[in-house]
Amino acid sequence: MTRTPVFAVALLVLAAGAPQLFAQGRGGRGGPPPGPPPTPRAAARIDITGYWVSLITEDWRHRQFTPPKGDYLSVPLSEAGRRAADAWDPAKDDAAGEQCKAYGAAGLMRIPGRLHITWQDDNTLKLEADAGTQTRLFHFAGPEPAGGDWQGASMASWDYPRPPIQGFFGGFGPPPPGGSLRVVTTKMRPGYFRKNGVPYSAQTVMTEYFDRFDVPGGDTILLVTTEVNDPQYLSQPFWTTTHFKKQNDAAGWNPTPCTR
Amino acid sequence: MHTVITLRLIQREFIHSMMKNTLGLIFIIGLAAALHGQGPAGPQAAGFDMDLTGYWTGVLHEDDLERLPGPELADYGGFALNEAGRLFALSYDVSRLTLRHHQCDAYVMPYQMRAVGNFRIWEDRDPFNQQLIAIHIWAQTTEGHRVIWMDGRPHPPAWAPHTYQGFSTGKFIGNALVIHTTHLKQGWLRRNGSPESDQATVTDFIIRHGDHLTDTTVVNDPVYLTEPEIRSNDYARQPADHHAWLYACDDGEQVLGRAPDNVPAYPFGKQPFAKEYSDRYKLPFVASLLGADSMYPGLAARLKNSSDADAVARLSPAPNQPNESSKAVNPDPRDGEIHVWPIRDHVYMLVGDGGNIVVQTGEQGAFVVDTGEGKLSDKVIAAIRRLSEKPIQFIANTSAHADHVGGNASLGAAGADTSLPGSFFAGQSPSAATGTLLDPSHHATLISHNNVVLRMEAAKAPSDAIPADTYLEDRRRKFHNGELIELFYEPSAVTDGDSIVHFRRADVIAAGDIFDTTRYPFIDIKNGGSVQGEIKALNDILNRTGYQHEEQGGTMIVPGHGYLADEHELVEYRDMVVIVRDRVQAMINAGATLAQVKTARVTADYDTRYGANTGPWTTGMFVEAIYNGLKK
Repeated sequence: MTRTPVFAVALLVLAAGAPQLFAQGRGGRGGPPPGPPPTPRAAARIDITGYWVSLITEDWRHRQFTPPKGDYLSVPLSEAGRRAADAWDPAKDDAAGEQCKAYGAAGLMRIPGRLHITWQDDNTLKLEADAGTQTRLFHFAGPEPAGGDWQGASMASWDYPRPPIQGFFGGFGPPPPGGSLRVVTTKMRPGYFRKNGVPYSAQTVMTEYFDRFDVPGGDTILLVTTEVNDPQYLSQPFWTTTHFKKQNDAAGWNPTPCTR
Repeated sequence: MHTVITLRLIQREFIHSMMKNTLGLIFIIGLAAALHGQGPAGPQAAGFDMDLTGYWTGVLHEDDLERLPGPELADYGGFALNEAGRLFALSYDVSRLTLRHHQCDAYVMPYQMRAVGNFRIWEDRDPFNQQLIAIHIWAQTTEGHRVIWMDGRPHPPAWAPHTYQGFSTGKFIGNALVIHTTHLKQGWLRRNGSPESDQATVTDFIIRHGDHLTDTTVVNDPVYLTEPEIRSNDYARQPADHHAWLYACDDGEQVLGRAPDNVPAYPFGKQPFAKEYSDRYKLPFVASLLGADSMYPGLAARLKNSSDADAVARLSPAPNQPNESSKAVNPDPRDGEIHVWPIRDHVYMLVGDGGNIVVQTGEQGAFVVDTGEGKLSDKVIAAIRRLSEKPIQFIANTSAHADHVGGNASLGAAGADTSLPGSFFAGQSPSAATGTLLDPSHHATLISHNNVVLRMEAAKAPSDAIPADTYLEDRRRKFHNGELIELFYEPSAVTDGDSIVHFRRADVIAAGDIFDTTRYPFIDIKNGGSVQGEIKALNDILNRTGYQHEEQGGTMIVPGHGYLADEHELVEYRDMVVIVRDRVQAMINAGATLAQVKTARVTADYDTRYGANTGPWTTGMFVEAIYNGLKK
């Protein structure tokens, strides 16, 4: 057999299969006709709701205790950031009624405590932290909130692995499984990464990925991978990973005011 | 449905016509994959095969001090260390790194993944079907090379060697690469002595978000942790080769004139820098000594009224507590079968009949070291016959212990010393001779130090189980199967008749009970053993070993019991014996009685690894053997 007839037949077969192949990109073989897209709540591939407790296994000293002034080890501060951290004056914060500067979105997840995550509605995930009695709202839809408070404006999306680009061979499979919650937070009131006045500015953009793992031994872990960009106080993106362990109930849930 | 059936008929005809050439076959595979939405079934089918390959650099925005210049002493906060782990860390003197055999210690996984430096990730794919076989991670620091097998292969058995990177298998699950790692060496959770034992297993979750890679590691260590240690490491993708990959290390002389049995360590309660960390940062002294309690919220509030006394109590073993027993897996399969592990160059380790057995094969008859308990001798003989058609020609015994000579008679009878027929010895067999001399050509020749014979005769062992070919002083040599085999005498280690057997070409050492990965050394004082002789013997082995790379590989050491090791395991074992001896000696010097030494729990940092409260060799017996030996 020569190659020319082979490819002719191949093209014929592909042409016959083309409708089926292309149909997969619109919802798969034999599936129901397209309907309205599911709500973000219904589309969730991972469930991060429930009570979670911090595991302080990294930056232990900086997180469990308020570090001394000028201790900004590990944080890639710019020169302006270091100057601001060195000028930290907790009494001034107290006088200004800004005791919660370390409890803003870019610092909150690092403060030891418990989280309670629930769906406020089909489009909004609510994250409550007992440390500082703070609430973050992750909006999957609707206009971006005005922000300007400690928690800023958080827009959420499900971050699924990108489907393969369909090529001549391959790329026609089902969408990859798994996924993360992606949250981008802006418009935050200037605050602290750490309780000792390591600063972030109002220009900060924080991108977080929430992933959930079941680990050997039966525990479930919530991993929050964070990238903070702050053109004013950081010299490069600031990356951290923060861990929480799933609780079966509200044990230990203890809302407290912001403290130094 | 009709369309699909028609399509499949066309496909079938097409396949038949295409099968005649390779190009067609490739086309068919691709088409099938496209139409059915999946590749050939494989272990990684549960998730999607994300691409991790490329150049990555660790981003150190957490625990910067620990990961760059180095952690502070007594900073164990955030680790769920149990009492043994905490005491091990407090006893650790960083001067230990100046010892020759520690200078090139590599980083154990997952500390390696947390290290500063560059990483490269690449894939191995089957050249014929392009299935993913393995993912490799090369770490610049300590040149760690991690292989994650993706082809569904099983983990090795419990008696297989341990390495710094361990044995890893992976699967793509959801959007993560999930890795399970076993067979790790003992190493660090943190570079200040916080230990990770050789019994630790690790689960990794690797996730990629664009150019940001995150590796979350979950360490389960029954020896030193009360709950899993969970940390994450971040890596930034680099556009090109870093051209910085190597971390060359050769050991050398760092402290001249130091005695070979000097292992830097602090006595319990005497860590001179224990309070330095808390003082520097104005923390409660006890905060970093609390193990798992230090990992959870509310620590500062809970410790508001803590006192230094709370911490001081944690610098030594808790008083009036029973000894812990080992949490380690015993590699002995105890399944009634003999298992063969190839070591190198026709030298094998046989596991399953009590003490480990070593077999060397070649053009001449098999050379066997030790014969186990003798309960499974038929299966041992069968296993050796599968390795060599030649008879068992020589059997060497490392000691007179029953679990090493138990199969002497059976294995000896199954063998033959083919060098004897026609020799002077064959013609001299007196009719009154007993045992193996009765007919030497139809029995393997048993070799040992002469004291083994004396001990076996005293124990009224059967004459055909007692070695006939003995040596009296320091060394016995034999060139066999193209290899020099040396037996070295250790006058007073676990007994007064111990031999170390070194296969020189294969570079394999059979250590007998001098080295045992399952328990404290069985120092058999009644049969001439002593702790000083045990330490000397361990150091004598170390004088013969070499590592292949970063304190790993090279000379392989078969312990009397336990898994196949290299000098790293032997060094850790030597350190343990020396450290415990020094503690006992210090108490003797202070006038302590045996009862007081036992109550002091001088082995508290090792009991979860080697300890036993029941059975033939308990922690109490070990301490008593040391005490009595040192009191002589």
